[in-house]
Amino acid sequence: MSISLEQVSKHYDGAAAISDVSADIADGEFFVLLGPSGSGKSTLLRAIAGLTTIDRGRIVLHGRDVTHVSAREREVGIVFQNYALFKHMSVADNIEFALRARGVRAAERRRRREELLELVALPGLGERLPAELSGGQQQRVAVARALAHEPRVLLLDEPFGALDARIREDLRRAIRQIQRTVGITAILVTHDQEEAFTMADRIGVMDRGRLQETDEPRVLYSRPRTRFVATFLGAANVLLGRHEQEGVRIGHSLFEPSPFGRPSRGAEATVVIRPEDLALGQGEAVVGAEPLGRGKVEGLEFVGVLERVRLSVAASTALASAQHPDAKQFLLEASRSAREAELAPLQTGQNVSIGVKRVHVLPTPIGSLRMLAASSERIEQLAASPVIRELAARMHVRPVGRVVDGDAPIDVLGGLPVVEIERDQGLAAPMRLLEIGAHQVLGIADSRRPIDRLLIYVQPTRSAREAALGAAATLLRHLAVDATLLVPAHQRRSLGGSSYRDLLDLRHSALRGYGVDVRTESFDGLLAEAIRNRAHGERATLLLLGVTSNASARGLLEELGPALALDPPAAALIVRGTSVSGAEGASIPYVRQPAAASAFR
Amino acid sequence: MTLAANPAAAGGVGATAAPWARTALIVVSLTFLTLILIVPVVSVVGYAFSEGWEHYLAALRAPDTIAAIQLTLLTALIVVPINTIFGVAAAWAIAKFDFRGKHMLITLIDLPFSVSPVIAGLVFVLLFGAQGWLGPWLDTHDISIIFAFPGIVLATLLVTFPYVARELIPVMQMQGREAEEAAVSLGARGFTTFFRVTLPSVRWALLYGIILCNARAMGEFGAVAVVSGHIRGSTTTMPLQVEILYNEYDLTGAFAVASLLMLLALVTMLAKTLIELYGARRRRPLRVRPPADVGAEHRRP
Repeated sequence: MSISLEQVSKHYDGAAAISDVSADIADGEFFVLLGPSGSGKSTLLRAIAGLTTIDRGRIVLHGRDVTHVSAREREVGIVFQNYALFKHMSVADNIEFALRARGVRAAERRRRREELLELVALPGLGERLPAELSGGQQQRVAVARALAHEPRVLLLDEPFGALDARIREDLRRAIRQIQRTVGITAILVTHDQEEAFTMADRIGVMDRGRLQETDEPRVLYSRPRTRFVATFLGAANVLLGRHEQEGVRIGHSLFEPSPFGRPSRGAEATVVIRPEDLALGQGEAVVGAEPLGRGKVEGLEFVGVLERVRLSVAASTALASAQHPDAKQFLLEASRSAREAELAPLQTGQNVSIGVKRVHVLPTPIGSLRMLAASSERIEQLAASPVIRELAARMHVRPVGRVVDGDAPIDVLGGLPVVEIERDQGLAAPMRLLEIGAHQVLGIADSRRPIDRLLIYVQPTRSAREAALGAAATLLRHLAVDATLLVPAHQRRSLGGSSYRDLLDLRHSALRGYGVDVRTESFDGLLAEAIRNRAHGERATLLLLGVTSNASARGLLEELGPALALDPPAAALIVRGTSVSGAEGASIPYVRQPAAASAFR
Repeated sequence: MTLAANPAAAGGVGATAAPWARTALIVVSLTFLTLILIVPVVSVVGYAFSEGWEHYLAALRAPDTIAAIQLTLLTALIVVPINTIFGVAAAWAIAKFDFRGKHMLITLIDLPFSVSPVIAGLVFVLLFGAQGWLGPWLDTHDISIIFAFPGIVLATLLVTFPYVARELIPVMQMQGREAEEAAVSLGARGFTTFFRVTLPSVRWALLYGIILCNARAMGEFGAVAVVSGHIRGSTTTMPLQVEILYNEYDLTGAFAVASLLMLLALVTMLAKTLIELYGARRRRPLRVRPPADVGAEHRRP
């Protein structure tokens, strides 16, 4: 590995700029850190360069731990957005700077300088001052300067930001070419998608200080793991379908089950459909595509190579907008080639049948947020709590509110139910919802403080672990919080004294399966005490409990009950691993359309 | 007229004013300058030479005046380097690092600008004077600060310390830290980075600051007047000497020294203007070579 980042974290004034970023970058790889501004990507790059210290974690360059090594001794080359050339020095002196600092002899310096000028296609310009060169040429000089001391890592911080579109494209190709020629490992920071796609071997998408996903450009585009990446990279329709026994139902069609985990039957599936994967037909069905439903053409936009079509579609239990889960109508965006548009022209207002060629199910168990409370005031209070606000904003979901009166059956299977935790009740309210069939429940005790820590405890079964880590991954990607996974010390001992195996195993499955890194802590003694010691104090904690079944959940809450009833954490999410089956599930009204009583319009 | 009154429609600020307004403005400022600046300057020089060239030189050659000139130069020679070092250090700290109390430091640097020089002088009298806090101790150890050369140096130091820092801070802040960061990542030590990257990039601002600092150090009156004690031939600087001579009705002598001070000021202003011109030319090179490199932009490596 050329570059290894292990749980790198950095805080500025208490706010997390980078949270637990772990990544491995191979020798000679061109890695692009892509993210909106303020996502922490530049801070991460500077941390790798040694220009910023980190609070926690390890940075390893070519097997050498450089976490505490100064920037001067890290042997990396950096190229900045504004070139940062030494303006008072000639191009030659700029390029030779690193060699001079290393006491390289003049003849050798000259040889190397000529070689580098040749490499960046600026031969013979050594005597110029930087101000006498164009922007693109200055950036080439900056690249040459960064490569002079033959570093093994090249870091590029938005190097094309200050350049015109045309020069930018040339320079992109040039830098990629140089990187291949030299065979150097490179990390490029950018907010430009196209740049990331054209240059990267692999892209790491950053948001909120977290490395959300890392993969090859094609995989990230076609099989994203998160809503953020799905919508950040290109246009996407994010819809809610249903998990069924045989697969995922979306509209009129049934698709293969998601390869990620085994979600409970009846749970919402969050589905991504790219506009180009929708097919439109005038007849009853679309040839060569699975039927989705019918829709009305709302708008047409011709943009040369393709035509964008906006369709309004009626929502159903197996086809709803992920953004507005309770909307009766929602908009779909489709695109078709200019040729298709010419062969079968559409008119605004026309009814068409919609087919789908490819769907992608996101591996997140959290689709929509459904707040349940006894009155609309209470619902508003829940909606105003920072946890819900932040989740809703980052997931692009409008939380749905529903007033529940004692007797009416509730559709608890869809989405993530959110309830209030009352002070002396402990987790009784979330438990009630689990009992009537919910797979997961979020309880909120403190509707004022924003959450800044996630504390996870998982019962030692595979199903509990998978469900909890899936939910944790979703939460971590949308809330800027630290996460700690609690592992009892006695559990480790009971597994044959294999000290940290279980601990590492848990972390490993979190990282591999869900792409999210968490820290692990083991504790001795009572779980209730361990949670209380960590969940109290200044920081507002969200307690995530992964339980195997309702019976084991009851056992766990009995154990934790008294402690949590007195002083509950700011919020608690209980996730059940196995789906409710047989008698327990039969009495529950299966997937019901939410009644009209919605507090949010 | 209605069109011309609209800057956007007229296409520029210059075009908005009527020609008579421009002329009036120029005449008013020129008149004002003549009355306030040029007439006094000319009269000083005129007065200095009113009794002839020999008399002028004789006035300058008076032993007390020579002592005053020497004292002024010596003070400047000590104060300017010290404040240059302090100014560079302070500007570097403020522009390139983040630390607690940074705004406090900026405010403190500006303090001598806002405090009356007389008070600046009084501070030292309070500290080191016979009735001051350290007065008795200094007295027993036979160290004289007030009414002596050290006092003059201290007062001048205090009054002139913002100049270099104030010139450097905005320039350094504008340049940011990237060049230094690049230098460090290229393997340069702090020392090399400072002398090869930071200092050369601010050299014009630094020189400008030094010149201003020097001008003030030589011309300072208020603070020095309080601490000097006006001992002729020993603790009078040039501005004080002017006052003493004037008070003794030696007008020619007073104006001769004054004209020398003014000469210093003029040289300073000239140097400053030259530096500004040269600095501006360095920033925007006038002789951009016709680029044979236009094609290089699109050439593949």
